[in-house]
Amino acid sequence: MTPVKGGYAVDVPIINVSERARREQATLWSTFRAFGVTFSRLFTSLIRRDMPTISYPEQTRNYSERFRGTHILTVRDDGSLKCVACYMCATICPAECIYIEAGEHPNPEIEKFPKKFDIDMMRCIYCGFCVDACPEEAIVMSREHHQAAYSRDETLYGIEKLMARPGIDAKGPGYRPNRPFAEAKIFDAKNQPTCAIPSVTDERHPAVLYESMIQKRQ
Amino acid sequence: MPKITLNGQTYDAPAGKTIIQIADEVGVEIPRYCYHPDIGIEGSCRMCLVEVEKFPKLVPSCATPISEGMIVRTSTPRVQQAVRYAMEFLLLHHPIDCPVCDQSGECWLQDYYMANAQHTSRYPGTQKTRRKKAKDLGPLVKLDQERCILCTRCVRFTRNVTHTGEIVVVNRGHASEIAIHGEKPFDNPYSGNVVDICPVGALTSSDFRFKVRSWFLKGTSSICGGCSTGCNLRIDHSARAMGGGIPGESANDGTIYRTVGRRNVEVNRSWLCDEGRLSFHGMQRWPRLKSPRTHGDHRTVDALLPIIHQRFEAIRQEHGGAATAGLASATNTNEALFLMKKYFHGQVDFRLGNEVEDCQKRQDDLLRRVDKHPNTRGAMDLGLAAATDGLSGMLKMAERRQIRAMWISFHPQLIGDDAAEIFVQLQQLIGALDFSVVSTTHEFPWTAGATIVLPMAGWAEESGTYTNFAGRVQIANHAVQPPGEAKPLHSMMSGMLGLSGIQVSPDPAAIFEWIAREVSPYAGMDYDAIGPLGMPGITTPQEEVVR
Repeated sequence: MTPVKGGYAVDVPIINVSERARREQATLWSTFRAFGVTFSRLFTSLIRRDMPTISYPEQTRNYSERFRGTHILTVRDDGSLKCVACYMCATICPAECIYIEAGEHPNPEIEKFPKKFDIDMMRCIYCGFCVDACPEEAIVMSREHHQAAYSRDETLYGIEKLMARPGIDAKGPGYRPNRPFAEAKIFDAKNQPTCAIPSVTDERHPAVLYESMIQKRQ
Repeated sequence: MPKITLNGQTYDAPAGKTIIQIADEVGVEIPRYCYHPDIGIEGSCRMCLVEVEKFPKLVPSCATPISEGMIVRTSTPRVQQAVRYAMEFLLLHHPIDCPVCDQSGECWLQDYYMANAQHTSRYPGTQKTRRKKAKDLGPLVKLDQERCILCTRCVRFTRNVTHTGEIVVVNRGHASEIAIHGEKPFDNPYSGNVVDICPVGALTSSDFRFKVRSWFLKGTSSICGGCSTGCNLRIDHSARAMGGGIPGESANDGTIYRTVGRRNVEVNRSWLCDEGRLSFHGMQRWPRLKSPRTHGDHRTVDALLPIIHQRFEAIRQEHGGAATAGLASATNTNEALFLMKKYFHGQVDFRLGNEVEDCQKRQDDLLRRVDKHPNTRGAMDLGLAAATDGLSGMLKMAERRQIRAMWISFHPQLIGDDAAEIFVQLQQLIGALDFSVVSTTHEFPWTAGATIVLPMAGWAEESGTYTNFAGRVQIANHAVQPPGEAKPLHSMMSGMLGLSGIQVSPDPAAIFEWIAREVSPYAGMDYDAIGPLGMPGITTPQEEVVR
C-alpha cells in the first residue's frame, strides 16, 4: 500500500489556519467587533431593562393556544362531564394511556357517562390525538405541563383532576380543534361547587375535594 | 334442479329456495337488514333488491323464489341506486349517536353506509323524530326506539322461534314502533337472541351494555359449557391492551365480555338460551384457585406431578391397581377424561349426580336440557361409567378401603348450582382416602382435607372436544388464559402418563387422534376435520337403545 498525502485515505485539502487569519486581518479591533452583539444586549438589558431571560419558575411564558399540555375534561352547562365514554380517545391513543369505565346515566337522553376516566400521564405522549378523535369536544388540552408528583399514583389523573385543577385556571386551555368552545366549557369550581358526575347528583364536586386534599397535604 | 345465473355464473340450485339463500351459499354478498335465515321472511327493508332479467322492476331477493333460467344481477347501477335510496330513508330519522351506541363497530347501518351509500342527509338534524331511548323490555334487553329501523327481526323471532310473541309493531305508518304488550316484560328464556339478531343498536343487552366497545373484542368460536345441548357460540373476550399502563390492568387480562350465538343448523341454529348466554359469569361466582395447595412447601404444578405419581405408584404396589381411582366431572373435555382413564387403567367415573339419566331429558322445546354438563355423552362414549357406581359408589368403596387414593377433578356447573349433597359426599370421600389429589377451578371449602389441591383451567380456558347429547363431537377452543398457575386437566394428565412411561403430547389434537384410534364412536375422526361446526359420532342403534 502506497502512503498517501496527509495520512488520509482520500485527498483532504490542508488548510493553513494562521495563513487565513493573516489574510483576514485578525486584529484586536475585530475581536471587539465580534463581541458587538454581546455588548449591545448588555446595553439593552442593563440600561433599558429589556431582559430576554425570565426568572423561571417564578415567571413563566405564555404558551401558544395550540400548546398540548395536560388534558382537560370539559363540562356541560350544568357542570356535569361532557364525556359520553365512547372510547374514541382510548382507541386512537398510541400510548394506550387512557382507561375508561362506562356507566349507565340516569338520564336516558345522555345514556352513557364515564364512571372512571383515567389518563396515565407518565405514559401519555401528548400527541393530541384524543382531542382530534373526540366527537363531543369533551377532552381538550391545556397549556399546563407541570407533572411533578410525589408518587406514581399521583401521575394517574382521574376525572376530578382532569376536570379541574389549579393549573387549568392559571394557564388556560391549549390545543382544541374547535376553538372557542362551541358547546363545552371548562369547569369552574367557584361558580359551580355542586353537581358532578353524573349531573343529577348533588354531591360536592370532586374538584373541590381534590383541592382540599392538596391543602391537607400542605 | 333449476339453473340460475348469478352475476354471470350459472349454478344448480335446489328449487324452493330464494335468491338470497343461493347468493349466501355461493358467497355473493347481498345487503340485508330484515332477512335472517332462521326466523322467516319479511321483505320490509328493501336492501336486498336485485335485478332479474325480464322482470320489469327490481325484486327483493329474500322473498323471490328461484325459477329455471333466472338471470340475476346484484351490483348493477340500478341496484346500487336503489340500495342508496333505501339507506337514505332508513337513516332519515336515525340518531347519529354512534359514540353512545353499543352496536357501533358491528352495526349493519355503519357497514352498509360505508359500503353502499355514503350520502349526505337531505334532512335537517334538528327535525329528526325523537323517540324513547334506553327502555327496558325485560331483564336482559333494552330498546332504543330512535335507532330502530323496523326490520321486525325481533318480532319474527318471538313469533316464529319462541312462539311467545311478546314483541310487536304498534301504530301505523311513520308512527309505527317496536313495543311489548303493555307491562308484560319480555322475559322468555331466549330473550337475549334478539340482541344478536338486531342489525342496528335498537336492542342492546343489559348485561353487556357499556362494558366495552366491540372493536376491542376478539371472537373465539367455542361451545357453550352450560348444558348437554352443546350450543355453538362465539366467546368475545379482550384482545388488546385496554389502558395498558393503568395499574391493576395487565396488558391482556383475558376477560370474557359476552357470548354470541354461532350458527349451526344441526345444533342450535343461531340461538342461545339466556342461561347459556350468561353462563360465562359462572366462572366468576367464587374466587378462583390460582396456585397449588399442599400441606408442605409451595411447589409448582409441574413439580408436584412426580410426587403425586410416586404416591399413587406406592399405593398401587401395596394394595393393587384397584386401590387408585379417578373421579372427573362431565364438564372436563374428552381429551382430559380419556387420559385420566388411561392413567387409572379404566378406574374412572364422572357421575356426581344423575347426569346419565338427565342427559336426554329436554327442559323445553327449543334448546335447554336438564343435564347441565356439556360432556356427559362424551364421558359415556369413552366408557367412564364402567367399574364403579358414581360418586356415591366410590364413597362406599373408599369407606370399605377398596379405594385408598384418588384424583378428583371437579368443575362446577356453569348454569345453576351443583347439588349440595355432592359437596358433602366429596368431603366425606376425601376424608375416607389415604391420599387425595383434587384438581379444581375454584376455592371450595370442601377441598380443605385433600392432600394436594391443584388449580385447573375451566371452561373457555382449555381447548378440547365436548360431545353433546346427540353424540356430536364439537371443539371448544380456549379463549382466555387460566388464572395463575392453573393448567388444563389434559395437560396435567399427559404429564402423569409421561411419568408412568407413556409419552403423550399435551396437545388436544394429538390426544384426540389416540381417542379416534381406541374409542369406537369416534373412529376415524380427526381433530382438524371436526371444524367449527362439529361432527356427529358413529353410534350403533344398539347403543341408542341402551341410552
